[in-house]
Amino acid sequence: MRNPAGWLLLTALSLLFFAFIYAPLLVIVGYSFNANPVNMMVWDGFTLDWYRGLFGLRDRTGDALSRAAYVESTDQLLAALRNSLIVAACTTAISTVIGTATAIALARHRFRLRRLYEGLMLMPMMMPDIVLGIGLLIFFVSLGMQLSLLTIIIGHCTFLTSYVFIVVQARIAGIDPALEEAAADLGASEWVTLRKVLLPQLAPGILGGALLAFVISMDDLVITYFIAGTGSTTLPVFIFGMIRRGVKPEINAIATLIILASVLIAALGLWLRSRRIDR
Amino acid sequence: MSRRRERAVLALLLAPVTLYLGVFFLVPLATIVVFSFLTPGLYGGVEWSFYHWNYGRIFGWADGITEVFEPVYLRILGRSLGFAALTVAICLVLCYPVAFWVSRLPERWRALFLFLVTLPFFSSLIVRLYAWLLILRPSGLLGEGLMALGLRSTPLELLYTPVAVVLGMVYVMIPFMFLPLFAAIDTLDRAQVEAALDLGATRTQAFLKVVLPQTLPGIAGGAVIVFIPSVGNFIVPDILGGARGLMVGNLVEQQFLAARNWPFGSALSVIIMTVVLTVLLVFVARLRARGA
Repeated sequence: MRNPAGWLLLTALSLLFFAFIYAPLLVIVGYSFNANPVNMMVWDGFTLDWYRGLFGLRDRTGDALSRAAYVESTDQLLAALRNSLIVAACTTAISTVIGTATAIALARHRFRLRRLYEGLMLMPMMMPDIVLGIGLLIFFVSLGMQLSLLTIIIGHCTFLTSYVFIVVQARIAGIDPALEEAAADLGASEWVTLRKVLLPQLAPGILGGALLAFVISMDDLVITYFIAGTGSTTLPVFIFGMIRRGVKPEINAIATLIILASVLIAALGLWLRSRRIDR
Repeated sequence: MSRRRERAVLALLLAPVTLYLGVFFLVPLATIVVFSFLTPGLYGGVEWSFYHWNYGRIFGWADGITEVFEPVYLRILGRSLGFAALTVAICLVLCYPVAFWVSRLPERWRALFLFLVTLPFFSSLIVRLYAWLLILRPSGLLGEGLMALGLRSTPLELLYTPVAVVLGMVYVMIPFMFLPLFAAIDTLDRAQVEAALDLGATRTQAFLKVVLPQTLPGIAGGAVIVFIPSVGNFIVPDILGGARGLMVGNLVEQQFLAARNWPFGSALSVIIMTVVLTVLLVFVARLRARGA
């Protein structure tokens, strides 16, 4: 940069940009420890009551769950979390298998419809969530399927397969096919070549795709909102419902825990990537 | 490996995705299109007869008897396109200089700030919007803060306005704009910029004639990736928007979950789909034209 004053200004602007991204999240974390139950704006001392309330524990006054009565019951929150984890785990498994198979097919085989498949794989990512959500809703209802965790899992896989595909495809592009050709020339069957040569090299990409699928599935709100039945509420849908009914301190505590979890997952992702580079 | 054997392997690899996306993606999309031409039933169901008034209500060929033309739908469609375009523009203006800054940092810092941009993508959408609800509501951080500083005497009325909606969309879309922009700016040929400056170009000229054309693919990519989820967004206007910030996504949601007029909701969705596909096709065509 030729102009030091300009660079300084740019640095200041950029730091402001990052403050803009992170300040709102810090606001939630701060509020979640504020003891004032009436006005969140006024600091009234440090408390863990909102967290205690979430886990069904008594607060300092011994007034069991009174403040946390808003979280209709801790059971509901935990049920939503459990649903989210079940959906994310199943979705990750299914979409990772399908997405990886597709990426291998498109990278290692030449065929007429390749372009078409490449386009098809991008479509679910590009389709606005609401369109996919109501499409699936009409589809399931027309078939007479009860909305449940199963319908959510089916719905999530339609777009997460594409995310896994993109990540694995990026990885496969950097792998030299010569090694596989050598294995095939030396008499390894297609299956053995895949298992012993390609998949080990591809593992970090597959893991990265799976992690991405898991995170997006845990966080998906719009599609789930349309295809979740009454008994199959996931965590984001549950929180959405709470927020629609009004701002309450308990939400700050839940939100803070979610922020903490996502920071840990992002750090895990970063760590995985750095290991990949080390190898 | 024999030709036939290779065919078999390929079929095996492609069968799952073909079946899955065929049944659970293409069929549902086709169902929306079919439903948009069906007659809404009296009690929320549908009747299987052709009905074009779902579109007539929106675009104005309703006869006033069967269905009434309501210009409000066109207005909301226009507003959705406008909000999405504004979101793209603001994201671009915010991210471009910062992406430039990050690309010029020493390696360690670059990695850190890139991580910081992607981190919100991993954190919950609903939590990030909730944060703005806390900040923007009348008794929220911004309003109370401004009053405490004596900058305002009345409570802030920002929540449930179009400003709040666009702000919320910009906030959640920033990572999607930043990453493609960064990729383009980072591969910029700096020697060319230096050459332009050495040859007497002003900074503005160097930017307009050298930097901008080279980073155009990143700008276009980011714009498409931000525009598409913005135009059909319903969560942001639902939480921050209120009546004046209502977007077409909210209309669709109402038709499906409250009004129970599925054919009309489907017609609105078909319009969103058409907008998205048009934007994508134009983008891909441009990309091909550049590549050729």
